[in-house]
Amino acid sequence: MGMQRSLPAERILGRGHPRVDAREILTKYGTVIALLLLVVVASFASPRFLSPVNLMNVLRQTAIVGVLGIGMTFVILTAGIDLSVGATLALSAVLLAGTLDATGNIWLAMAAALLVGAFVGLANGLGVTLGRVQPFVMTLGMLGIARSLAFLYTKGEPIPVLEMDFLKLGIGYLWRIPVPSIVFLALLAVAAFALHYTRFGRSVYAVGSNEEAARLSGISVGRDKVLVYVISGLTAAAGAILYTAQFAAAPAIAGEGYELDAIAAVVVGGTSLFGGQGGVVGTFIGALIIGILSNALNLMGVSPFAQPLAKGALIILAVLLVGRGRRS
Amino acid sequence: MVDDSRARKLDGLIEEYARGRISRRRLAKRATALGGLGFVLAALGPGLRSAAAAPRVRPLSLASARQDTQPITEMTNEELLAFYDEVLPFKEILAMEAGEVGGSPLRIGFSQTGFNHPWRVEMIKSAQAEVARHPNVELVITDGNVDIRKQNNDVDDLLAQEVDAVVMSPVESAGLAPAALKVMAAGKPLVLLDRDVEVGKTVFIGQSNVTMAKGVGEVMVRMLSGKGSVVELTGLIGSSPAIDRQKGMNEALAAAPDIKVVATGDAEWIRDPAVRLMDDFLVAHPEINAVFSHAEESSWGAQFSIARAGRCADNILQFTHDASNAGFQSVKDGLFAADGNYSPFIGDVGVRAALMTLQGMEIPDLQDYEFEGKLYRLPDLPVVTAENVDEWLGKGWGDSAPPENPCAQ
Repeated sequence: MGMQRSLPAERILGRGHPRVDAREILTKYGTVIALLLLVVVASFASPRFLSPVNLMNVLRQTAIVGVLGIGMTFVILTAGIDLSVGATLALSAVLLAGTLDATGNIWLAMAAALLVGAFVGLANGLGVTLGRVQPFVMTLGMLGIARSLAFLYTKGEPIPVLEMDFLKLGIGYLWRIPVPSIVFLALLAVAAFALHYTRFGRSVYAVGSNEEAARLSGISVGRDKVLVYVISGLTAAAGAILYTAQFAAAPAIAGEGYELDAIAAVVVGGTSLFGGQGGVVGTFIGALIIGILSNALNLMGVSPFAQPLAKGALIILAVLLVGRGRRS
Repeated sequence: MVDDSRARKLDGLIEEYARGRISRRRLAKRATALGGLGFVLAALGPGLRSAAAAPRVRPLSLASARQDTQPITEMTNEELLAFYDEVLPFKEILAMEAGEVGGSPLRIGFSQTGFNHPWRVEMIKSAQAEVARHPNVELVITDGNVDIRKQNNDVDDLLAQEVDAVVMSPVESAGLAPAALKVMAAGKPLVLLDRDVEVGKTVFIGQSNVTMAKGVGEVMVRMLSGKGSVVELTGLIGSSPAIDRQKGMNEALAAAPDIKVVATGDAEWIRDPAVRLMDDFLVAHPEINAVFSHAEESSWGAQFSIARAGRCADNILQFTHDASNAGFQSVKDGLFAADGNYSPFIGDVGVRAALMTLQGMEIPDLQDYEFEGKLYRLPDLPVVTAENVDEWLGKGWGDSAPPENPCAQ
């Protein structure tokens, strides 16, 4: 990935450039303010909220949806959407568990998962670009296909994962931080770098801001679009690795509804569904907001009937807050 | 002969319901209103209707003692007969001699919800085991794909094949009422397994989630000596087995005022939500004496969480439901204190009920109940605990291994 800074495309498309302006600051602060407010409310609501064990729990609980959110951010930045990530996670997970069961080789199993994820992403990307199928429709179809393949592969029965070395990835700690969270943060750093310091990252913003202008300025829009879906497929596969390592089983229903959680994290994090605005750091904060809310509701003993209401209201509130920042 | 418009209306109703445009109540009302003579004619002529809609005829799975290996379960007749003797818990219910039934060949249709879960395959296995005992009986099995429309079409196809009786385990109560109406209108015995419909049937055969969960709850009350803090991990919120299992637990706890349910969460029958909930519950409640879970998967998830939180020494007792072989193994290993025994092996009872009805034999102990038709309530199987687990090992469903007890390491 090149580091040249003076491509014609970027000079023309100032909006995609990672410069800091007032609107962006407000947008970012809106999310951070929401996060801080939530932390304060949660720590008053439950004295145990700020205990180290609980904070580590929140970090671990956030990791899988957060990882899916990274890939989702790339897709949404190009004004696309990927509804297939939960199902891709399931398909990758069952193939990972199946490979692990057959070979006992952790690396081969993880490679299989990543390969499947990349392949599903490639299919999505080609459908959207070459096939000109709307992203919503393409990935909705893929959701069904991947989920069904996972069911066919497992015949409905979860595949247990008993390889202790592999499970350490899900339940272990490194520097007292849960390994899944470290994986999440590492992927986040890579993604932030790619988005802000590479030519590819800048063209993702350009494509999302104005596809036609991006094309005219020499960006190969099709290739970049295919790439963002491949990235989303890969992060879904990374999510699958964390899922199977954390729960020691790969059921075909794994990750059901995760696509909506990932989209919520991206949107709460301030990335616009219309593309071109936002970023993965916002998604990190968005994932934390949703994770903390869910954690606090459980700590407070809120009835499971009422929890979705609170989460729904929070999503709308957070976006309202960020939207205010964006308009002013 | 055939009133196609009524049939079409009925199909339209199913379609509308499946798409969520009309409510259950409305579907049941309008489907029943379509009854009467015209409807009976429509239902009697399904063969003609299927011929008109040719592409709808799908290949069906046929099981009979005359073939060596049975479809879906891929078991031989010898294996099925051995399984019948060694495993089936309800074979004394409506007991029937092996051998030919009546004089002529009989064909029974079995409309299964789908094969998305091993529990459903095991139910078919028990039905095939009964068929393996009767050389003149065939079983036609359909796969409903967990889809209201598909299962309604399956029942059409079974009637088109002129089966002598239908055994059905409906994917959904209201959505399969039209199919039930058609079978009854065709004058064939209809045996429903595990899930009921509110319209007429010959007999509904089911176990009670309420009394089963109450049984598990009573074991919990006993093992906690009547006091302590319990967290509850439910099945998918709002689903009828989850509602019933909660009700059963509450009935048992009514007798133990010193046991408090300190938290309840929706674990969706599976493992990953249970881990997250348990993480949070362990933080919120320094003292937890037991977990009452509606599903084994959720219990295993809770155990991971307990181990990770360093709370193994708290000796938190796990009470659960599902009756899989892996679950029984976990009882043996000490991971579960008790496992509610909700058996999938009721297919054989369904086939026997159909055969008995076809032979004009009376099914004993039938009850009248709130819906049209009769109820046959299966007795609760014993809750599996450390005391009786050796009798039950290998007699549950599924053949996967349970996760290792993370607290045993």
